[in-house]
Amino acid sequence: MAHGNEFDIIVVGAGHAGCEAAAAANAMGLRTCLVTIHLETIAQMSCNPAIGGLAKGHLVREIDALGGLMGLLADETGIQFRLLNRSRGGAVQAPRAQCDKAAYRLAMKYRLERMPKLTVFQGIVAEVVVTKGVARGVKTLDGAVIEGKAVILTPGTFLNGKIHIGLQSYPAGRANEPSSVDLAEQLKRLDLKVFRLKTGTPMRLDRNTIEWDSFMPQPGDDDPVPFSYRTRGRLLNKVLCYQGYTNAATHAVIRRNLDKSPLYGGKIKGVGPRYCPSIEDKVVKFPQRARHQFFLEPEGIETAEIYINGLSSSLPYDVQREILGTIPGLDRAKILRPAYGIEYDAVSPMELLATLETRKIRRLYLAGQINGTSGYEEAAAQGLMAGINAALALRIKAPFVLRRDEAYIGVLIDDLISTGVEEPYRLFTSRAEHRLLLRIDNADRRLMKYGRELGLIPESAWEEYEAKRGRIEEATSYLKKNRLKTDSGDSVTFFEYLKKPEIGLKNVLEYGKFPVELSGEESRYIESEAKYEGYIRKQEREVAKAVRTDSMKIPKDVDFQKVSGLTREAVEKFEKRRPATLGEAKKIPGMTPAAVQNLTIFLEIQRKRGASTAHVSRETRPDDE
Amino acid sequence: MLEDTIIAISTPPGFGGLGIVRISGKKALAVAGRIFEPKDRSKKPFPVRRPVFGKIRDPERDSALDEAFLTYFKAPRSYTREDVIELSSHGSPAVLEGILRLGTRAGARLAQPGEFTLRAHLSGRLDMIQAEAVNDLIRSVSLSQARISSRQLGGSLSRRIFRLRGKLISLLSRIEAGLEFPEEKLRKDGAADRRALAPIIVDIERLVVSYEAGRAISEGVTLAITGRTNVGKSTLFNALLEEDRAIVTPFPGTTRDFLREKLVIDDIVFHLVDMAGLGRPVHPVEKTGIARGQKIAREADGLLVVLDASRKDSEEDERLIRKYRAKKTIIVLNKTDLPRRIGRRRTQELAGGSPTVGVSALKGRNIDKLRGEIRAVFAPGPGNDEEVVLHARQKDRLQGILEALRRAEGLLSKRHSEEVYAEEIRGALRLIGELTGEVRVDEVLDEIFSRFCVGK
Repeated sequence: MAHGNEFDIIVVGAGHAGCEAAAAANAMGLRTCLVTIHLETIAQMSCNPAIGGLAKGHLVREIDALGGLMGLLADETGIQFRLLNRSRGGAVQAPRAQCDKAAYRLAMKYRLERMPKLTVFQGIVAEVVVTKGVARGVKTLDGAVIEGKAVILTPGTFLNGKIHIGLQSYPAGRANEPSSVDLAEQLKRLDLKVFRLKTGTPMRLDRNTIEWDSFMPQPGDDDPVPFSYRTRGRLLNKVLCYQGYTNAATHAVIRRNLDKSPLYGGKIKGVGPRYCPSIEDKVVKFPQRARHQFFLEPEGIETAEIYINGLSSSLPYDVQREILGTIPGLDRAKILRPAYGIEYDAVSPMELLATLETRKIRRLYLAGQINGTSGYEEAAAQGLMAGINAALALRIKAPFVLRRDEAYIGVLIDDLISTGVEEPYRLFTSRAEHRLLLRIDNADRRLMKYGRELGLIPESAWEEYEAKRGRIEEATSYLKKNRLKTDSGDSVTFFEYLKKPEIGLKNVLEYGKFPVELSGEESRYIESEAKYEGYIRKQEREVAKAVRTDSMKIPKDVDFQKVSGLTREAVEKFEKRRPATLGEAKKIPGMTPAAVQNLTIFLEIQRKRGASTAHVSRETRPDDE
Repeated sequence: MLEDTIIAISTPPGFGGLGIVRISGKKALAVAGRIFEPKDRSKKPFPVRRPVFGKIRDPERDSALDEAFLTYFKAPRSYTREDVIELSSHGSPAVLEGILRLGTRAGARLAQPGEFTLRAHLSGRLDMIQAEAVNDLIRSVSLSQARISSRQLGGSLSRRIFRLRGKLISLLSRIEAGLEFPEEKLRKDGAADRRALAPIIVDIERLVVSYEAGRAISEGVTLAITGRTNVGKSTLFNALLEEDRAIVTPFPGTTRDFLREKLVIDDIVFHLVDMAGLGRPVHPVEKTGIARGQKIAREADGLLVVLDASRKDSEEDERLIRKYRAKKTIIVLNKTDLPRRIGRRRTQELAGGSPTVGVSALKGRNIDKLRGEIRAVFAPGPGNDEEVVLHARQKDRLQGILEALRRAEGLLSKRHSEEVYAEEIRGALRLIGELTGEVRVDEVLDEIFSRFCVGK
């Protein structure tokens, strides 16, 4: 290619996964090439103009603590900010922001273009060059060959994408953008298990044709909470969102036209997400509901486009118009872009290692929707991890894998590679076994050390974190030392008092003056630590125990054939991988918990037998060491 | 299906009229084909679930070991859901071990204890509770245990626990939907959560309590006979057992060590312990006997405190009764054939709520009544359709579930945030998974999506 030099890492696709992957690889000092179909649509938010929410906001915090970009840019381009679940505890609070889509795109492009080791290149990748089972570069439709030592694929819905509106359909990755058909075909040839998923996006309406008085305004928070630990200055709410409802007339229109739906007409084969159903899904599955909620969200400051959240659909355009006609306030609204459904190819994530490298092709990494996930945040988290691990692999360093109890990123990737997906996967807080440990108020405590070791966190951010930790510790020891008398006459420490559900740090401060001034973020951390203390200790103990079990050694000469209850598949996998510990055995993709349980029982029995027959000479047995 | 084929003798060790060897696994049919030759050659391949008569043969030596019947259970309609062959031959250990040897030579592997049942469990045919029931059924010592085990093998306890689990998942999904989708404005409803939780707690409490009866059925009840010296404890012991097991003399302190015997009343096994009386010791041996007796009394499931109705009660009687107030006790007023010196009112005072039975151990008077009382007090029988928890493991898990749910209830009433009591309910569900051996992660999410129309 024209650059005349080869790269270390090639990232295919500049969506939320690709951008994080490329930025991480650049920051870790690797020559990186980011190939995208359109330079104009780098970091495009293809669907809703918002970032964050429950579990997703958690992910963005974690991405930020590891040195990723999404949080920083969401703060920078956000136009309305909310902290969700304020009335609930710290573990289930998460930030969500409406972003200006165009501003987000440009902000990302601006940053990427200034990264010293990164080249952004426009082209459609038709093929991954694979030599002797190792990815060595990519070929574009234009015939350009880009050589590299690792390839990260983040094609999103472009992988064999097909758009459906009513019974019309055409190949595309997004409305009117070409899809990647050749690449999808090649992945099948590479013996990767490819399957079909679907998702959808609602119509965009013209702001000037909506009667806004018909809807309930939804303001942002008075004291916006940023995503990023590195954001300085106050965030400003610049827009309102609005909330409305469908009605019986809307539902009648939908029911009457179900035969024109590609989904109900049987045209779409892919599986759609249950948590983000189309309006026709909602009407069919919940016939008893008289109305469904939707939100009107601006796509930006300068654009007139309004995203209608909750009305995703793949019904024909004229039906979409008819639907709007039934809703007072939208009855004269103009559609700027019709809603559509999209089917695309994904690769079963059980093909992946925890590093997101494929098991079959070395140095080929997959991230984002190709792994069956949905959501910008899920994509960004995977992109970051793929970028980091590709860079570490080229540097011949140990892989970077987060445990389930350490981060939602760990939960996400572990779920993907160990159980696979059947519908587009979205993260939920309830997927985490240790939900009370994984909070937005401690993401820096959990992860920033790793970001720093990897070279992704600037020293200044680390110093600020250390100062913050100092303040928290000082305040906590103050709270644990000083006591107050409660209404019932008991003397308790401030910290104990803080455990009561209705008590916040503010109430405690009526009893004494704090030695340090705390930010809202720091206060929230201390409140969580107090309110969840018993659970945190218990979960930490469980984690320590699980880590011990995982570290249980599997003897090198163990005969897996002898383990009763294993399927042929499990025996083959064990024999091929030869896991050294139970933890590694568990991590083998596709390994069922039952198989690991059987192996555990077998090892326990062996261990006991060994102990009972050889107790005399126990100290001298070599395999005890 | 599992890879290797296992073989084992299924009948108890020792000589028996019949002995059964079972083979399970993919190669069961092949193994059996090599070592069994049907008399009627047309019976090969072996018919399914029809006994075939023939000979066990050593293929290498071409000699017959014994005559036998072969029954073929084709997968998955067999105990392990694999191909299973049952060979029933004469029950001599030599013959049975010979069949094992031939079987292993033909490609089967000796099964480990419980491996057939383990396979049934792993193949999903039995959950953990059912697998335990199989074991119980094999080992059951009493009729009621066999009855309960066979019902649990049918899945009655599992079904009950699955119903509870379903209710918990439904409750949790409502809470989680509220947490995960704050913008859907799903109503926060602590009162409804409490209403849903209360009956689940009551149901689990009932199961936990049933373990008392369950343990009585599976392990028996230890009953210590105690009282002052010379009140007739050993006479009572003999009378209950209907044999002269303990040495009885008119002299106080005859029993110096303790005696332990099985007494079966209506299927329930009672371990009856006779021991030294608690008088002033006159001999060092007696002293040791008394100390031991006290330990046994402390550890027993229940006590029979014997009083001598023909003598005035002493401080010692009173002290003894008071000491074990926390234990289930029957006050046995012995020697009612003699003139009575303890009045009814005084008896009631002493008993302090414990049931009292007047007997004459010597004349055998009222002993049947005492037996009935023992059965009723120490092994409150389960009703016929009442579910009983037989295993300490099951009871421990249920206890853990109960505690978690009680904590959830407490947190709810103190208005803690939902994610905190959700944590307890999540914990309870994990324990239920351990109880039935089943682990499924996504069920709460499944329930959320099917019940709540969410999707922003």
